[in-house]
Amino acid sequence: MSKTRCFILLLGLMSCWSAARAQDVVLVTNKGVQISAIRNADLRAIFIGSKTRFADGSHAVPVILRGGPVNEVFLTNHVGESPDEFRVRWQKAVFTGQGAMPKTCDSESALIEYVAATPGAIGYVSRISPQDNVKSITALK
Amino acid sequence: MLRPMPLFLLLCLVCTWPGILCAQDLSGIQIHGFATQGILYSSHNNYLSMESSSGSLQWTDGAVSFTDSLTNNLRVGIQLHVYQLGVLGGPNVQVDWASGDYRVNDYLGFRAGKVKTALGLFNDSQDVDAIFLWILLPQSVYPADNKSFFLSHDGGEVYGALALGDHAGKLLYRGYAGEATLDLNGGYLKLIADEGGLVFTTAPGGKIYGGDLRWEAPLRGLTVGSSAHVQAVDGTAPIGNIHIPSFLTTAEYAQLERGRFYFAAEYRREPPAPIVTIGPEVLPIPFDARSWFAMGSYRLSQRFQLGSYYSHYVNKDADTTLPANYSKDWVVSGRYDFNSYFYGKIEGHFLRGTGLGYYPSTNADGLKPTSNMLAAKIGFSF
Repeated sequence: MSKTRCFILLLGLMSCWSAARAQDVVLVTNKGVQISAIRNADLRAIFIGSKTRFADGSHAVPVILRGGPVNEVFLTNHVGESPDEFRVRWQKAVFTGQGAMPKTCDSESALIEYVAATPGAIGYVSRISPQDNVKSITALK
Repeated sequence: MLRPMPLFLLLCLVCTWPGILCAQDLSGIQIHGFATQGILYSSHNNYLSMESSSGSLQWTDGAVSFTDSLTNNLRVGIQLHVYQLGVLGGPNVQVDWASGDYRVNDYLGFRAGKVKTALGLFNDSQDVDAIFLWILLPQSVYPADNKSFFLSHDGGEVYGALALGDHAGKLLYRGYAGEATLDLNGGYLKLIADEGGLVFTTAPGGKIYGGDLRWEAPLRGLTVGSSAHVQAVDGTAPIGNIHIPSFLTTAEYAQLERGRFYFAAEYRREPPAPIVTIGPEVLPIPFDARSWFAMGSYRLSQRFQLGSYYSHYVNKDADTTLPANYSKDWVVSGRYDFNSYFYGKIEGHFLRGTGLGYYPSTNADGLKPTSNMLAAKIGFSF
């Protein structure tokens, strides 16, 4: 195999890897939530606990995954923090009596189930199916 | 009294019992906790009431919190705390905070009960070891042996945040009032007992009020703020009393978190004028503390952090050339997170001056003006 072909193959592999890394999560809310899009700044504020309501005034209940790549992509892309930074932020709130950790789910299916059953709930998963009783919303820059 | 290691092991056992290690959410009640065990070795002098010159393990800390959100706006919780720092603290479980929190909206909320006091960057979080790189926070501003002086109060707090727009950042504000009491087993009363023979059987305390205003700048990660705190202390012991008239403590601070870097600095002025009365003798104690620190750290990897700070304290009401009236500490720290729950820390201190952290009863042969120290700590939180 020529050096050029090797180089092209390598570039192709790198672009696939980057695409996989850049793949975003699907934001899901309870079907009762009236909004269809949310600004990234508001999303961040809701997940770090500094904002408790959506733009339409209804109460927001953030739900997170315990760990994994989907959790990491969401926190990095939408909250602007690593999972460790996010954990430390919430530990500070919890141990000083200034907040309660967001509801944490062990799996995406558990998160979808919780969001479907909880008014105002908002979370994130890798994908949803038509059978899931939740609503998908868009994050705006 | 439980020895430090057994106390730490007991805390570990309770918190690592199968199913407990992950934070629990039982019917909406969240349970979190942490425990730490430290060791301190100093080249000279015994620091923080530990026998540190021969290496001391008398340094254990643990807490467990219970929080329940009763409605969308109302949350209640309590945190129990136990610590041993040399001869300070002990096996008694203390209520660290216990409060009801009603958040009307993002601009206004109320907390009532026993609440942590907002003062400077770290006052309310100073005993949450898990969130810091440092084993000891800068002792000039956050003395580990005397944290009860400002740590919390019985009363209330008003808090909120105001977004100033996309290009102007956000203001966060807290205002509070209530009554604070000193820890009977804490360093302040230990020092009074050591130096004046005044032993309190009921905790001195007094009215406090104050507030904290901080601006989260539009530059992501930059926070600038200022706090003001007014406090009075009165207490009576069998052979005398202490009276500290209301005094104003101020703090100005800034921090920048950017990527793997973290920088922070704080300046505090604390000018109480204690008057100690023992029998017919009235002893005014001149004291005007000017303290500041500057710190920086870098996260080398997801698990490993390194950092350094300089901490400076001087009592301007006394002869500032005497080691007893200043404390200057250069510190180098490292932290390794084994996983999300367990971590280890190591820290070197190069301490000049004896103005902070030393007690006559644990330094019967007097104090050397300088001392180097090595501290290590393991801890976990869930």
